[in-house]
Amino acid sequence: MSDKRRAEIEAKRAKLAELRKARADRQRAETERRQAEPGPSSGARRDVDDLVNQLVGSRSGLDTGEDLTPSSSLPNTPPRPSTNLLHGLTLSPSGRVSRQSDVGSDKVSMGTTMMGMMEHVDRVLTPRFIPDLIDVEQELFELPQRERVIYNKEVQTTAIETETPQISENEIRQQIMRERELEAERIAQDKELEEESVQLEKEIEEEIRELTEEERSHILSAPEFLDFVEQSSKIVQRALNDGYDYIRDYTIGTEANGDDSEGKRVKRICAFYDERCGKNRSITDIDWSPKYPELSVASYNKNPAALNEPDGIVAVWNLHLLDRSEFVFHSQSDVLSVTFSPFHSNLVFGGTYSGQILLWDTRSKHLPVLKTPLSAAGHTHPVYAMQMVGTQNAHNLITSSTDGTVCSWLVDMLAQPQETLELIHAGHNKTGEVAITTLDFPDNETTTFWVGTEEGNVYQANRYDRAGAKAGLNQYDIYKGHAGPVMGLHFHPLVGPVDFSDLFLTASVDWTVKLWRAKSLAKPSTAAHAISPIYSFDEADDYVYDVKWHPAHPALFGTVDGSGRFDVWNLNTDTEVPIVSTNVGSGRAINKLQWDRKDGRRAALGGSDGKLYVYDIGDMALPRESEWTDLQKTVAGFIGGAQANGVVDGDATRIVAGR
Amino acid sequence: MPPELEQTLTLLSSHRSVLGYLLLSRGDHVSIIRHSGVIFEGEQGKKYASVIGKMVESVQAGLEEVSMSENDGDQIRFMRIRTKRHEIMISPDERYLLAVLHDPAS
Repeated sequence: MSDKRRAEIEAKRAKLAELRKARADRQRAETERRQAEPGPSSGARRDVDDLVNQLVGSRSGLDTGEDLTPSSSLPNTPPRPSTNLLHGLTLSPSGRVSRQSDVGSDKVSMGTTMMGMMEHVDRVLTPRFIPDLIDVEQELFELPQRERVIYNKEVQTTAIETETPQISENEIRQQIMRERELEAERIAQDKELEEESVQLEKEIEEEIRELTEEERSHILSAPEFLDFVEQSSKIVQRALNDGYDYIRDYTIGTEANGDDSEGKRVKRICAFYDERCGKNRSITDIDWSPKYPELSVASYNKNPAALNEPDGIVAVWNLHLLDRSEFVFHSQSDVLSVTFSPFHSNLVFGGTYSGQILLWDTRSKHLPVLKTPLSAAGHTHPVYAMQMVGTQNAHNLITSSTDGTVCSWLVDMLAQPQETLELIHAGHNKTGEVAITTLDFPDNETTTFWVGTEEGNVYQANRYDRAGAKAGLNQYDIYKGHAGPVMGLHFHPLVGPVDFSDLFLTASVDWTVKLWRAKSLAKPSTAAHAISPIYSFDEADDYVYDVKWHPAHPALFGTVDGSGRFDVWNLNTDTEVPIVSTNVGSGRAINKLQWDRKDGRRAALGGSDGKLYVYDIGDMALPRESEWTDLQKTVAGFIGGAQANGVVDGDATRIVAGR
Repeated sequence: MPPELEQTLTLLSSHRSVLGYLLLSRGDHVSIIRHSGVIFEGEQGKKYASVIGKMVESVQAGLEEVSMSENDGDQIRFMRIRTKRHEIMISPDERYLLAVLHDPAS
């Protein structure tokens, strides 16, 4: 009995000890756990917490790999954000949900990583160790708060007072009126404020503000601003040029004006010069516009000092705008001849040193709109002379270069010449080339022309074959007379009752100007023979660079020479000396002379100093009725005198005055 | 400021009777782009600028009023105001304005 009791007691004691031990162990374990913060089991909890936070915070689908970058782990599946979590909850993902989910009695079933960790965690611990689990509840997604509609029961109508309705009406009316007044006041105030603000705005607008540097530089570099300044400054300068004070009152004032005695005086109107286009350059050719009598064009050769500037420049000048040119055109090589197109008021043709013919348009910018090619088809030598012949519908540009080539071009087809003519003189000793320096067509002639050459002779040439004469140079009729290169050749313009259009003047380097009568084409010669001038003007002291008949007065012509002199001759008055001789400019040579087209009152002179002088000859330009017959007599006198001296070949029938 | 512009403007202001010029930009705000001459300095210049702006606006409005048809009527190309002492020449554009003051009697 006592044994049994002893055994029982022993068993009980053992059990108690065990229990005590177990309790002590447990307590120890707890304290250990509590002390060791990153203890394994607590670590597990913490990891779980972290994971949960991360998952909740980032909301990136973590149900795939163990790393936190879903995109790299499974390349096929794109990261699926928040919907993952939902899915994770509804469908249990790739089943690693272990049996230890009862261990994971926390509501977060995040899937594999968690479970895996739990497993790991659990394996670390002693198998019999039952971890102390915490319930972690996290809302992974936010459901929108359901709006709870609450209804209040209320009485809708206010308490009705039935005692004094009238008073309340009045009160109501007063109230309403008061409210209205208040409103009106408010409206009035608002309006005032508005008006004030509008006014302030206006004032601010009207205030001239200074531009910031940025804005200013932005404006200054805009191309339309530059265009605007060009245009408007031109207009203002033209207006400034006027000089006449139109509110002048003639009743007051003691203006002592010097009276100009016109008479036989040649007056300078202006000298066009611009540094940009004239500095260190010479004028090589001039023309007046057929459409706008105030416009003239001048071509310049190259500036040897400035290598960056274009070699050739053409400038259009306006008589009403003295300080600057209307238009400036550039060219790659020196421009030696220039002419306005008589049929298109916007086009300007130029012939260059390289042989190219260029076409500029006043509507475009600096560069030519059309060019002839630099090939053997056109000219390859400097083009010193060109002329436009024909009518509005059928016109050609005839150009000649110093190798004897004469080309005819169609205005819109400058790619190749319409015809090319080589002027060859077979009789020359070394070479057949004829070096043309100047060319002119008689008025009303378009198929035959005369050329002046470097050797001093003048030849006649035909553009086409005709009865008795071939196309090309007529080598039988040689107009011999000059001892040096012929610089200018001009036929008498066809104007007035008597036809002098077979007379032409030539100017040459041998200091003389000679008057010739062109041989009639009706009787072509078959043997070479020389034709002499009718008359020779030897007044000049220097090379005579140009001679031009006056467009209106039959007996008037002008010459310019290398000493800067401009002579006006009147054959009816005096054949030995010019009637007026003016020194132009500073004594530098004048290269070209051109009378203005309308009535010849003005003459444009181009100097080798780059200045374009415009002179007015006044009443000298007006011919009297008798000028024509007088000229006939004069010419007859020339021929008669020449015959008497044995110079001109006598042909009695031809002395019939004038023809 | 491109050199051709400079040259043009210097040429303009060096004319013997020109007293100064004003380059304004039109639009909601009239503002001075550039000016030259003693007359257009500082406050005086600003006053001139606002006055000229208003003048051009009012003349343009007047033109539009008298224009018969609805479409783009007449536009001011050039205004020359001759006063007793000077002459103001205004050349307006859609966006800019050049005003030159000169003394024709000199």
